[in-house]
Amino acid sequence: MVRSDIIRGHLDSIILRLILEKDRYGYEISQEISLRTNNRFQIKEATLYAVFQRLEKKELIEAYYGDVSHGGKRKYYCITPLGKAYLKELVSEWMEVKEIINLFMEGLE
Amino acid sequence: MDGSEGNYQLVYGGVRMKKLKNHIDELFKDIPSNKETEMVKQEIIENLEEKVFYLMEHGKAEEDAINKAIVEFGDIEELKKELGVKQPVKKNMARLNLEFSFWGSGLIIAFFVFINVYYTPNIIWAIYPIFAILWWPLSMYFVWSRKK
Repeated sequence: MVRSDIIRGHLDSIILRLILEKDRYGYEISQEISLRTNNRFQIKEATLYAVFQRLEKKELIEAYYGDVSHGGKRKYYCITPLGKAYLKELVSEWMEVKEIINLFMEGLE
Repeated sequence: MDGSEGNYQLVYGGVRMKKLKNHIDELFKDIPSNKETEMVKQEIIENLEEKVFYLMEHGKAEEDAINKAIVEFGDIEELKKELGVKQPVKKNMARLNLEFSFWGSGLIIAFFVFINVYYTPNIIWAIYPIFAILWWPLSMYFVWSRKK
């Protein structure tokens, strides 16, 4: 498993991206992350809900109660227009960062 | 038929998930209970239960599934920070200590001055205990200014 403190700064982007695709609930998101990374990165629940809180406070995502699962109502999240704009910003920023870091990380070994 | 089966699962699940719920209650015990934190707590329990059901469907024993969910939960501190707990309480304590030491030492000094002036007006001895007592608000001031 990859060191999670490097990914930490990009959790907002990862989660916004997953919610952008379709409205999702908590466990679905953590499962999707494990699935897509082939278990190389797993998000801890404590982290995930901290990110939800942060994004919701910044009005980048919104929550609503959806269908019933085992024993209760699922809380779904959807992305707001502000969230979409913010994600777009994050993506272009990441492209830039990636290029810069690659200048120093590539071509060795 | 389906309905009754679902009901049975619900009741059974309620008993089984007690351990999970207790664990989350324990993690949330420092977080002040209000509508927001209760909702987050419910959401977390809800999703952890779902995780447990998923793990069990994929062949994990009930006990293992619950333990796995608990172990993988991670550090609650992050969530606490997001829910805005702790930080302001500590700051207030330093200030409260300073205020208390200020008024407390003031009263004691007034007491010594009164005894001195009233009973032995010709000998000034109150200055010694006053000097000792002043270390109290002074040290509290130091603690407070460092925390500021």
